[in-house]
Amino acid sequence: MLPKVKGRIAWVFEEPNYDIDNIVGVANIKLSDIEQMKKVCMSDYDPDFAQVVQDGDVLVGAENFGYGHPHYVAFKALRALGIRTVFAESFNPSFYKGEVANGVALIEVPGILDAVKRWDTVELDWEANRVVINGQRVLTCNPVPQRTKDIVECGSLINYIREKRM
Amino acid sequence: MGQTIIEKILSQNLGRTVRAGDEALFEPDLTIAYDYPGYIDSYERQLEELKCLTVNKPEKFMFFIDHFNPAGDTKYREVHVKTRSFAKRCNIRLYEDVGIGHQVIMEEGYIVPGMMVIHFDGHVSTLGALGAGAISVRNAVIEALATNKVSIVVPGTLRVNLTGKLEKGVTARDVFHTLVRRLGPSGGCSLCIEFGGEGLRELSMDDRITMCNQAMFLSAVTAVCEQDDKTDAFLAGTARREYTHVTPDKDAVYAKEYTLDLSTVAPVLVAPPSSANTVDIADYEGMKVDIGYVGSCASGRVSDFRQVLEILEGKHIAAGTHMYAVPASVKLQKELAANGMMGRLIDTGACVYYPSCDFCYGMLGTMTAGEVALSTGTLNIPGRMGCTKADIYTASPYTIAASLLYGKVTDPRKVL
Repeated sequence: MLPKVKGRIAWVFEEPNYDIDNIVGVANIKLSDIEQMKKVCMSDYDPDFAQVVQDGDVLVGAENFGYGHPHYVAFKALRALGIRTVFAESFNPSFYKGEVANGVALIEVPGILDAVKRWDTVELDWEANRVVINGQRVLTCNPVPQRTKDIVECGSLINYIREKRM
Repeated sequence: MGQTIIEKILSQNLGRTVRAGDEALFEPDLTIAYDYPGYIDSYERQLEELKCLTVNKPEKFMFFIDHFNPAGDTKYREVHVKTRSFAKRCNIRLYEDVGIGHQVIMEEGYIVPGMMVIHFDGHVSTLGALGAGAISVRNAVIEALATNKVSIVVPGTLRVNLTGKLEKGVTARDVFHTLVRRLGPSGGCSLCIEFGGEGLRELSMDDRITMCNQAMFLSAVTAVCEQDDKTDAFLAGTARREYTHVTPDKDAVYAKEYTLDLSTVAPVLVAPPSSANTVDIADYEGMKVDIGYVGSCASGRVSDFRQVLEILEGKHIAAGTHMYAVPASVKLQKELAANGMMGRLIDTGACVYYPSCDFCYGMLGTMTAGEVALSTGTLNIPGRMGCTKADIYTASPYTIAASLLYGKVTDPRKVL
């Protein structure tokens, strides 16, 4: 069964073509200690991010979120902080493939950037392919590939291969 | 309703017609990987987790050792050892000490028009120059190793019609980064770039290879070129399988179309901190340059070094500057040695090195704070050449040679 996605928006990345390496800072893209990753994660945006973020919170991005040469450290840190979903106007395909494989739900929602602010609540309706913001405003998602749904449901690419492909 | 090149390649692979947006399980003709930590050294463990004891159809896989070569640290040598033992155990063909995989696989005749290829590395788009559909699946190479198939959504296509001819001193690198500037870094987002038109026929195979290599910086899934007699000449005597050209239908449906007149392209730089940042060379003329690097899977071919010699032959790079000239493969290295170009490059002050990926990502030729490099590497992000406080500008070999001649950024058209 697909996981329930309802969470507070822990950050809105308004910049198009956002390079996710900036989430930890380019000097930290080779970190291997998860506690250190969590500490530097988002610290350039909100020094208290690791304290205020809750399990199940989500992120919102602009057009082509994940542009550049994405390394895995940024989302390793975000996943460790409880973030498993990003809604964006669109995603860079390389970032999309890499993070969906790690079980992150990446959902394209045209118009979401102008419709939300930090700490709003977003709920995803997988079946109806739409999101509801603060229990009121409804936006339609772009179709979510079955592969993405399957991997999110299974939790990771390896689980997906084991459960759905073998 | 007609089809684009990538739709035709994927339809042929699947045995039924698919179009942009269709999702299906494809069996790639070739799955490629190289020795990079977190990828190839993880596959063995992941296969164990999946209780896969063997890889079926090993002839459809190929591995390369082209990173950390020569290894400067035991831990990297261990990646080589793991790569070798895994390849041997699974009966997968492994190439090492022959150069950069994306180049070698084309030289060796493995890639022909119409093939479907996957890799974890996005620069596999390079192979689109030969009319192959080469798609990066990132961590999903394990999916192919375990099941021979990968789940892919057929991408839409950005058709780029090239017209006209390039001015002397302007190159394929300038063409691609001009496209990034005009279409924006998201201009090809999740699409396959299809290069075609009269202008493409004027461009050499080396030019096409360089353009396809950079597809990810337009946020594209990959790139593919129309094929012609230049494609056939490249493959003559080496192609390991029969092929026919894959041509888009006249009524193919494109997500986007753009026409670029090559005669309007000027030399550009891509300024830090990202590949989105194409700038006019005129705005940077006179800026000091410490290091020049000509190599990588994006460049590093004979015509790239010919550009360098056109500017520097009989001259010497400016005092205090350094130049790394790194052929993309051993075959190219031999060619440069045989035709005398290697000696002439050395006479200009260039340090000619052994083919390797390592200069492109700071494993060799590391910079320090405050230094400025002009590079034909793939990427200019901070830290890419080993130091986050050094500045990397990507540029054409012409621009790098002209700039090293004077130790400052110089428009190559003023020197040629």
